[in-house]
Amino acid sequence: MEKFKQLVENRHEYAKAWKAKTGGKVIGWFEPYFPEEIAYAAGVLPVRMLAQHEPDTISDKWVYASCYPASDLVNMFLKGRYDYVDGIVNVEGCQWMFNAFEVAKNTNPNLFQHYLFLPDYTDAYTSKDVLRSELEVFVRKMEEWTGNKITDADLDRAIDVYNTNRRLLRRIAELRRADQPVLFGSEAMNVVLACQVMDKAEMNDILEKFIEELEERKPAGDRIRLMLLGSETFDTSLEELVEELGANIVIDELDNGTSYYWNEVILQKDRLMALSLRYLGRPHNPIKDNNWRRRPQHIFELTEDFHVDGVIIAKQIYCHLHGSDNYAVWKILRERNIPFHFFERDMTMPYEETEQRLVAFMNMLRPGLTRLVGWHQPMTI
Amino acid sequence: MAKGQKWETKPLDSWNRAKELRAGWQKSIERTDKVVGQGNNTWFLAFPAVQVIEDNPAGSMIAAKSDSFARKSRLACEVRGWGREICGYNNTCWGGQFLGYQDDGSKFPYRQFVVPIPCVCDSHTKRGEQVKDFSPVPRWQLDFSMYLGERDPDRELAMYDHKTYCTIKQVNDMERIFNQEFDDEKLIKMMRSSSEVGKYRSDVSAFMRHIPAPLTAKDLYSFFTMGMLTKIDPDETVRFWKMFRDEVEWRVQNNIAAVGNEQFRWMEAHPPPWHYLKYYRYMEQKYGAVCIGSQYVSGSPMMDLDGSFTGRAYPSYPSDTKLETREDIFRYWAGIEARGPHTWKMDEYLRPYALNEFAQTYQADGALLGLWRSGVGCNLTRKEQAKKLREAGYSVMLYEGSQPGDRNDMDEMRFLDQLDDWMESQGFRPFTD
Repeated sequence: MEKFKQLVENRHEYAKAWKAKTGGKVIGWFEPYFPEEIAYAAGVLPVRMLAQHEPDTISDKWVYASCYPASDLVNMFLKGRYDYVDGIVNVEGCQWMFNAFEVAKNTNPNLFQHYLFLPDYTDAYTSKDVLRSELEVFVRKMEEWTGNKITDADLDRAIDVYNTNRRLLRRIAELRRADQPVLFGSEAMNVVLACQVMDKAEMNDILEKFIEELEERKPAGDRIRLMLLGSETFDTSLEELVEELGANIVIDELDNGTSYYWNEVILQKDRLMALSLRYLGRPHNPIKDNNWRRRPQHIFELTEDFHVDGVIIAKQIYCHLHGSDNYAVWKILRERNIPFHFFERDMTMPYEETEQRLVAFMNMLRPGLTRLVGWHQPMTI
Repeated sequence: MAKGQKWETKPLDSWNRAKELRAGWQKSIERTDKVVGQGNNTWFLAFPAVQVIEDNPAGSMIAAKSDSFARKSRLACEVRGWGREICGYNNTCWGGQFLGYQDDGSKFPYRQFVVPIPCVCDSHTKRGEQVKDFSPVPRWQLDFSMYLGERDPDRELAMYDHKTYCTIKQVNDMERIFNQEFDDEKLIKMMRSSSEVGKYRSDVSAFMRHIPAPLTAKDLYSFFTMGMLTKIDPDETVRFWKMFRDEVEWRVQNNIAAVGNEQFRWMEAHPPPWHYLKYYRYMEQKYGAVCIGSQYVSGSPMMDLDGSFTGRAYPSYPSDTKLETREDIFRYWAGIEARGPHTWKMDEYLRPYALNEFAQTYQADGALLGLWRSGVGCNLTRKEQAKKLREAGYSVMLYEGSQPGDRNDMDEMRFLDQLDDWMESQGFRPFTD
């Protein structure tokens, strides 16, 4: 478990070492809809701008009363934690993250910066075309910035590396469907987060070996099976707390969790169209899930597939997107008798309060868990 | 500005006509024989029996009229999962949907379709989800395509196509679903009137630079909705705006003040607390302090893409362009909106930085800036810009509250005390002393 957690914690050192080794450029991205394949094809290392809380004396004047991940990112940026980043890109999405991007851009005018429009209306007939056009612009910008021509072969190579990564992550996810999974939710989340800050080709090698290890690993025992929903996560403190309490998060539907890798790029001659369709077809976060929603049904399917006993919905305070989506999610969970517990948090999770809430939630779940009380045992009347 | 200066003042003649038009609109939305929807596009008027009601003003009005109902409304949303800190306009309005009645006890006008305006902020984009999640009515999303940096006309082409296609699909779907014929001729007429009204709005905006101010921010908020949130006949809209514009020009030429003892001109930056507009009058009557608006309201029609207020080049109706089909019309409109002068989303990312320019151009003496809790579109770089205003010699007061449409957390008495401190710290004394 420690290996991936350390990779996430040491992400800044990793990126700096990567730059020193390759002489390449690093680009920071704010939204999980960022088409990393294009940056990767240009020889650039794309890294997710993961927020991390530290005493904040500086963000308030830029992003007052902001969602905490965004203000923590501003704090980190202004304090130079991301001083190794050569460029930043924001994709149309969460407006809090756009604000963080704006501050980063305006306080570091020498950085390469790009705003990529990705329709909020993902299902329109023309959405694929407008996104394809935007990807073409981005290719051009990357070529100008790096001086590297992005060929079809470069894109094919990048798509292959990223698809491989997605496939490996799906294999790990499949292992979590077992009656007694061999890995915990915290470990799985650290794996996904590490993938977002590392060179994917290097990460793929690590994952291949890790899967081999997992297949030999003994199960961790029967536990309450939980699902995690809500705002994006930046650490695994919640998953670890759940594990301490005797449960396990066996699946999530977080924007930078399973949704990050759930679907692949399906190849076609027009590579940019293939990328466009992939990003428009991924499991959506609330801002992209409009009209005839897909998200609640996707969540329900995951609860079935992963035999979830209950759902935790952890929303970041001030998250407008999940604040606007929870009604539909609560509704489907209630209609289908899936117990859930909702709470708000910020970047620092109040440990004892959350612990008490989760203990109460699990106590509520236990009597109904036929699997745990032993449905195959002889009845004692 | 010299203290003690007295200006001639006179009520606006346009008020009576504005009230008539507004009352007519109110009556029209109460008609039950129309298809009622959530939305704000002007082109809905080209349907014979479609009425749109935007939750933005509805939420503000509820917050202003009844604190207890507004609280009940928000709670009705919160217990169903809606975030307590999402846009106050949303929860204050849509709680009535769950409760089944409005603030006056009448039945809630359930919406039969939704077309959100995907502009400015995430809450706008998600606007109307309450309706859609409540019952399976049609909802048509639109995108407000935008990008940053140098203008790139080639980049905009796909955005025009996208916007044009989505809009035409909405219209065609609505014709089929609601069995109503869309009037393309009326649409062309609306486009012309929109173009003319745009010019009049710019003129009125420019007149606000004058000392004494011919209008106050309250007037702007009332009049600038005419033909927009308050949807009226296109010809009537143009006639009204011409009358209003001419009257404001006359006031400027003759130094007719909105506030006769104007001695301090202050600006804002974003919408006010709609539930507590009393502070405008408080400042006028107690200190002769007049609010000249903001880069959000009075400056908006004048703001160019470089953030200056030198004038926005509104495209006029192109007489050399053939508009023969519905697609022609909507493509032309999309062309204006995708990145051009009406691009609200771009504005939203220019506005936060344009405070000093506004203060200078509109001859402000000070700024009263709201810090809205969770105001994702209202707070970007707010305190940094306050610092810049102070550095340029403008007096600035910051105050905190929940969002403009949400009166939950705003301490109104403290706010008035702050205003007194602010004015007195600049050497002003209440007229009553």
